[in-house]
Amino acid sequence: MNAHPNCSTAEHHLSRRSFLNGVSTAGAALLGSVGSVHLFGEKNTLNEALKKSGKRVILLWQAGGASQLETWNPLPGTANSGPFAPISTDVPGTHISELMPEMAKRMKDVCAIRSMKTGDGGHGGGANLMMRGRKDEPNLNYPDIGAILARELARKDSKVPDYVALYTATEGRNGGNLTSSFLGARYTPMKLEKEMVPPNMSRQENISEQDHHARASLQALLNERFIDGRSTTTHSLPAAYARVHGLMSSQDLFDISHESARERERYGPTLFGEQVLMARRLVEAGVPFVRVARAWWDSHGQNFETHQELVPEFDRVLSALIDDLKERGLFDDVLIVAMGEFGRTPRINGSLGRDHFANAWSTMLAGCGINGGYVHGKTTEDCQDVAEDPSNAGDFVATILKAVGIDPHHEYHHGARPIPLVNPGHKAIDACLKA
Amino acid sequence: MIEAKAVTYKLKKEESRKDILFSLALGDDADRFHAGASDGVLRDLAPLVKKEEFEAKDLEGGHTSYVTGLARHGNTMVSGAYDKKLIWWDLKKGESTLVRDKAHNRWLRGVEISPNGKVVASVADDMVCRLWDFKSGKLLHELHGHDSRTPNNFDSMLYCCTFSPDGKRIATGDRIGKIVLWDVASGKQIKSMMAPGFYTWDPRARIHSIGGLRSLCFSPDGKTLASGGMGKVGNIDHLQGKARFELFDVEKGESLGVIESDKYKGLVETVAFGPDGKWLAGTGGDHKGWLIFLDVSEKKIITEDGVNSHIHETAFSKDLSKIYGVGHNRAYIWEKEVEKKVEDKPVGDKAS
Repeated sequence: MNAHPNCSTAEHHLSRRSFLNGVSTAGAALLGSVGSVHLFGEKNTLNEALKKSGKRVILLWQAGGASQLETWNPLPGTANSGPFAPISTDVPGTHISELMPEMAKRMKDVCAIRSMKTGDGGHGGGANLMMRGRKDEPNLNYPDIGAILARELARKDSKVPDYVALYTATEGRNGGNLTSSFLGARYTPMKLEKEMVPPNMSRQENISEQDHHARASLQALLNERFIDGRSTTTHSLPAAYARVHGLMSSQDLFDISHESARERERYGPTLFGEQVLMARRLVEAGVPFVRVARAWWDSHGQNFETHQELVPEFDRVLSALIDDLKERGLFDDVLIVAMGEFGRTPRINGSLGRDHFANAWSTMLAGCGINGGYVHGKTTEDCQDVAEDPSNAGDFVATILKAVGIDPHHEYHHGARPIPLVNPGHKAIDACLKA
Repeated sequence: MIEAKAVTYKLKKEESRKDILFSLALGDDADRFHAGASDGVLRDLAPLVKKEEFEAKDLEGGHTSYVTGLARHGNTMVSGAYDKKLIWWDLKKGESTLVRDKAHNRWLRGVEISPNGKVVASVADDMVCRLWDFKSGKLLHELHGHDSRTPNNFDSMLYCCTFSPDGKRIATGDRIGKIVLWDVASGKQIKSMMAPGFYTWDPRARIHSIGGLRSLCFSPDGKTLASGGMGKVGNIDHLQGKARFELFDVEKGESLGVIESDKYKGLVETVAFGPDGKWLAGTGGDHKGWLIFLDVSEKKIITEDGVNSHIHETAFSKDLSKIYGVGHNRAYIWEKEVEKKVEDKPVGDKAS
């Protein structure tokens, strides 16, 4: 069957095949995005000035749900406290868990939200909710926060990916399906799930650099002839291919061996440390949104020992990232977000574990647009509920958007339907943002 | 002498509590029964033993975190906690007599007193076993033989220690399943053994670990060392590995075999040999708890019974007629059901 209604020439098949076959896995999302980008157009993005502002976001996704009590909201002196003591920080009156001594020296740079009340204690539902700021509707899947940020912050002529998501652990990988939905596949994340370097990015060994460029030139020529007289959608194919080419030439971005021994040392030897170091490389090169998932925090058994492994690593890596961005002059342009799908129950179960808890938990923001040193909200003494300033997922997503200069009440249009970036009634937590 | 096949205990008392009890120590007559609690208090559970005769006299103000190590000799009790302190208590006066504020640099996991009552041993997550003079509290030796980091670059943990029946040796066990045997007098390392089956590192699904070697006990003749913990786990979110025991030939430093329960899962928190070394008792749990008896020579489970909560520590009464246990929101007393003449006292009746 002829895939093209107007053409049955061998040239068409050759061009189309060569086009598709030439695209790496890493670039597949970009190719798929062509239709959506074109159909949806760039007119709905906010403004070019924002794109040129160089704002970027790194999300540290604490998959499985980290305990607020063992991180940002220690509550001493109750049956639920657990064995870790609170420690004072560089912000007078603010205490965090003793598991985070490095972050205790950097709380002036950080805004902790201790009053997340999100209502969904399931891994999948909670992850979807936190990544989108709202629940999907039966006939509408909302784009996740990464896709929105990628769309609004990515430069049109960018040669680097718009959205990179690292999720190496297999547990929970399907939770919180990352999606660009109606924004189009250009903003679908480049997922790195098995290794830190995207597969098939490298030029094949049996093709010389010269041949590689010659093929690209030939392809450009054929594509140019192929699109002549066809739809505007088809017109954007060469642009997508050029992005794939750009990606192939930027593979060094994914190679942290280029980093100095000092940099690698401060992020630490663990996979999470290496991935966050790579995230810094990516945002420095202009990738607008990078999500690094550290799994798996789901400590139903031995919560304290699990957090004894994971929190010090998190403390080291997050503090290293803050220092690194500051030293590079990027801290005011890069927003760091730390969250998972929920927190953990204050009640300690029989296995010395804590279970899922979405009623009163914590998230963190630092960097671009953030009011450092501020702690938002308060839980009850037993941490079973929010006592002051409850914050929901929509408010949190709105805060992220506003922090980087995006109006959360801006509307996209999906067909004729206007779709605001966050649902009506949700708004940014202004106290968390720089005045 | 109790026959291995005849070891049967029945749960007689169970007390529901608000606190988590991590450790226990018995007096010679077992009437005074103390437990280390999650709020830092040493709870007097004597009323649980003989309700009418005793008024509880808790020991407060010493610790500020989970009391995970408790041992008693005569009227002196030594406690250790996650607050890194080691405290000596005079039980007659009901007050502390000596405090080592910084006995360790990280969570203190266990305290034991040598059979002759001369040496106190403490183990902690700073991966050091420290030997103290029981009377003066003076530090005798620091035993360094466990790596501070796991092979996967996370902090390790040193959970347990136990003295040999003659008090000349002490064994220590850590998170990755390493056992080190030490000479008490010199503080020198004699040998080490590995029991990696107690440690599960999940490199693929969750990228962290669970488990650890949680309990140790020498046989009465000192020739066999029993260890307890949890077998390999598929889903490390939960304590879902089989209750696991591994026996070692002390002189050869070789494993004599592994026994795992097909019925119960979780951590073996305490192991104790019977007086003739023919049977071994293990207690622990996952969300719930259990009591397991093993035939040592056959390497088979004799009996296993469940209870309502995770058991953190147990100890036999001197005459073996009772087992006392503490755990998550509960305390227990079991009584021996089989009428048999008992000749010897238990050896190594608690070690976790």
